[in-house]
Amino acid sequence: MDEYLLIESQGPWGGPGADRFVADATRLRRAGHRVALFLVENGTSAAFTGADEALRELLEAGGQVWVDAFSTTHRAFAPDRLLPGARLVDMDEVAGKLLEPGVRGVWH
Amino acid sequence: MDRRLPRADVLLAIMGPPHISDMVTSAVRLAQALLERGATVHIWTCGHATGLTSAALGDSKPRNVVNWSYDYPSGAALAAELLDAFPDRLSWYSCRFCTEERGSAPHIARIKQRPPFKFTEHLDAVDSALFLGVC
Repeated sequence: MDEYLLIESQGPWGGPGADRFVADATRLRRAGHRVALFLVENGTSAAFTGADEALRELLEAGGQVWVDAFSTTHRAFAPDRLLPGARLVDMDEVAGKLLEPGVRGVWH
Repeated sequence: MDRRLPRADVLLAIMGPPHISDMVTSAVRLAQALLERGATVHIWTCGHATGLTSAALGDSKPRNVVNWSYDYPSGAALAAELLDAFPDRLSWYSCRFCTEERGSAPHIARIKQRPPFKFTEHLDAVDSALFLGVC
């Protein structure tokens, strides 16, 4: 079983790539891999405003959804509107995950 | 002279245009977080991202008309500050071709220019690589 740190920076309004990236995360999770999806920059918008359905599927499959606290503050997103199951994190936690042996990072 | 690259834990390859998003901010935040955890980091800039460390930027950005007295550091100054803080664990490389094509030279001190066909050596020198801005 591999472990992935997938970093989504564009979000659902940045084009169709974000949805496909999240769908890839869900496929990896359903294939038995450990997956943490980190939403950063405009990617954080997916975790608010009604929430992206693809993120719910990832959470239901057992994946983790991390949301960059700095980016959400920068964009004035209210933390109480965060998608249930998603978690605010800081960059130190992301760095720690990336440094764990065997973790593969991908940035979109 | 020994031209072998130092090993590093992570390579952050900033390939995309630097000013159309928060990409560079995120890259520098991640680099700082990695370095503060004791990791070794390589940064590689390509395309217009080579201009981030152009010496022509000076130490400060042009004045902000709504905050006239505040000194906003330039990208080059921020890069120099990060290199000063972690001199033994951060290496910053810039693509020579892109640097020349975009007029980014000269760079500030400690920015190492490398030809693009050597990029694979940089991938071989790290445990993990992230490409930013290519898709």
